[in-house]
Amino acid sequence: MSHSNKLLAIATAASLALSAVAAQAEELLIAGALSLTGVQAPLDEPGFRGAKVAVKFLNDNGGLLGRQVKFINLDGKSDPVTVGNVAVQLLDQGAELMVAPCDFDFGGPASREAQAVGVVGISTCASDPLFSSWSLGDKQFTLSMWNTTMGAVAAEYAYNERDWKTAYVVTDQFIAYTKSLAKYFTAHFEAIGGEILLEDSYTNGDNDFSAQIARLKALGKTPDVIYISSYGTDIGVIIRAIREIGIDSPILGGDSYDDPALHENLGEKFGNDVYFVTHTYMTEEAHPDMPKFLELYNDMYGEAPDTSFVATGWDTIMLMAEAVKIAGTTDGAAVAKALEENTFNLLTGDLSYRSAAEGHTPDKAAVLVELKGGKPSFLGWRLPKNPPAP
Amino acid sequence: MVGLIQFIIDFLSLGGAYALMALGLVIVYGILKLVNFAYGELIMVAGYTLYLVGGTGMPWIFMAIIAILMSVLFGILTDYVAFRPVRAKSVTAVLITSFAFSTLLQNGALLFISPRPRNIPLPDIFTETIEIAGVITPIRNLLTIATAVISLSLFTWLMRRTVIGIAMRAAATHFTMARMLGVPANLIITSAFAISGLLAGIVSMFWLGRIGAVTPGIGLEPLLIAFIATVIGGMRSLQGAVLGGFLLAFIDTGLNYTLPQDLLKFRDAFTFSLVILILLWRPEGLLKGPASGQRT
Repeated sequence: MSHSNKLLAIATAASLALSAVAAQAEELLIAGALSLTGVQAPLDEPGFRGAKVAVKFLNDNGGLLGRQVKFINLDGKSDPVTVGNVAVQLLDQGAELMVAPCDFDFGGPASREAQAVGVVGISTCASDPLFSSWSLGDKQFTLSMWNTTMGAVAAEYAYNERDWKTAYVVTDQFIAYTKSLAKYFTAHFEAIGGEILLEDSYTNGDNDFSAQIARLKALGKTPDVIYISSYGTDIGVIIRAIREIGIDSPILGGDSYDDPALHENLGEKFGNDVYFVTHTYMTEEAHPDMPKFLELYNDMYGEAPDTSFVATGWDTIMLMAEAVKIAGTTDGAAVAKALEENTFNLLTGDLSYRSAAEGHTPDKAAVLVELKGGKPSFLGWRLPKNPPAP
Repeated sequence: MVGLIQFIIDFLSLGGAYALMALGLVIVYGILKLVNFAYGELIMVAGYTLYLVGGTGMPWIFMAIIAILMSVLFGILTDYVAFRPVRAKSVTAVLITSFAFSTLLQNGALLFISPRPRNIPLPDIFTETIEIAGVITPIRNLLTIATAVISLSLFTWLMRRTVIGIAMRAAATHFTMARMLGVPANLIITSAFAISGLLAGIVSMFWLGRIGAVTPGIGLEPLLIAFIATVIGGMRSLQGAVLGGFLLAFIDTGLNYTLPQDLLKFRDAFTFSLVILILLWRPEGLLKGPASGQRT
């Protein structure tokens, strides 16, 4: 072996070793297009916080596939076009997984971009059945139960468990979420034998519920239960208006009620006999690992979370991590297969997805919460027997 | 009969709030011929002030006064930050700066407080109801009507009987001429912003009182309402703004009561169709203001 050959061999060996180190150290990039500003921020920002806790937890425990995980979220600004653009930007940077915003209208663009390059995308809490593999592609999922489940759980609780036979339904004509939730509640409530006395509309932002109340009173009958599918502070407006006028029928709703500020807003005076179906509950009653999550959250932010939606961010990252571990790669097809074929134990409930041909329908239980004197209490997990088809 | 009384109370209380919102917007527009797009944020500022002083335990009325004062302060601040530096140069620049100031305030609330709603303290009287001729109605609605009547009367008196009011009306009619006759421009404009802030602060108590909470985006709806009301009422006329506010409330409440269920979800389409019809009939709005509309 000549001198120069020896040098070459050393150089080759060294470069091989270096590239091996580089491959080891190369970070696994998870992209996020969550909206930290705009109308979507109240739902996406908690998910973002939860996701960061999960990423830190993964990295503290050796990363994923031996690689450190890096989570970059660019603000989607509650604008579908911006969401799509930041998704493209992060995918160009080599993102291998995509966290999509929590709604079909806002989250869809991020998932479509991920699908276009064969990357798995998971929305933190989009619950409209539009968020499916049918409309977005075979590598796209949502962590949330669908509104079919959310509406059906409320209907079964009302009719089967509480014997409330007649309902008054209010639909806020705001977004796909508010409209489809009321639709599935109504469909399931009627399917299991309930009677809808009156359906009424509300326009988000009106802050005026007087005409609806006039119609309800003109009915001459008090409904056994009132189902209100609304969003944001308007829920408080409607419940206050109904209670102020002296109607004390129980009120049912979906995960948009899951907001401590709303509970406090209703307070001791109006926060009674209100029930809602949501993703999880922030105590050990909902999941044995909840205290651990809350502790990690507290370590990172120095305060307790102000909504249970933080758990959706944590779960999205942990679900991705589980699926990647099973697949042994971040390849889109392999991860999607792992997601379809396994059941995952998450803070927001046990989750299994149906096949891409069946829309990646999430089979997931929901939490039922009761509000009494403005204080929430955990009623338990519920799985509807036969939720309506989307 | 019961339905009619109910309707009248609902319409008047909504109309009173809308009229005050519209008046706050048009008073600045009348003089500067510029829409203050940061107007809705004055309501947001009042709301967050209530939230921040909520824990102090002082009587609600003091908290409300502090909140209204903050709204006045931010009204004046709008002038100093967004309008005064660029006012003389370009209309486009002022449009951009008022949008920028609005975004700045919203994002400030987003970053330093939270994107999620925050509750504001409310007095008990805001959540109580009263029965009038068989109609159960929240006392808050009657308070809104009373406050609107008092505020509008005070405002009319201010504009008709005081030096500053007359000077403001003069400036709104012909700004250059008014300046030549010795009306100090900056003082008039700042006063207009202060009154705008005062009206926004007062109306915010009742608007937020319906909601019980404040969010960073809370100002959008009032801005939109005020804008539409002034457009149908007449952008240059103060009376027009009040009329527009009540008319918009009448249309909204009327449609809410009368539209069949299947059409109710398209209520906004009906509202805006009516607005378009009114504008086709009266492109300048219902009431014409002073003849000179030139921006100066």
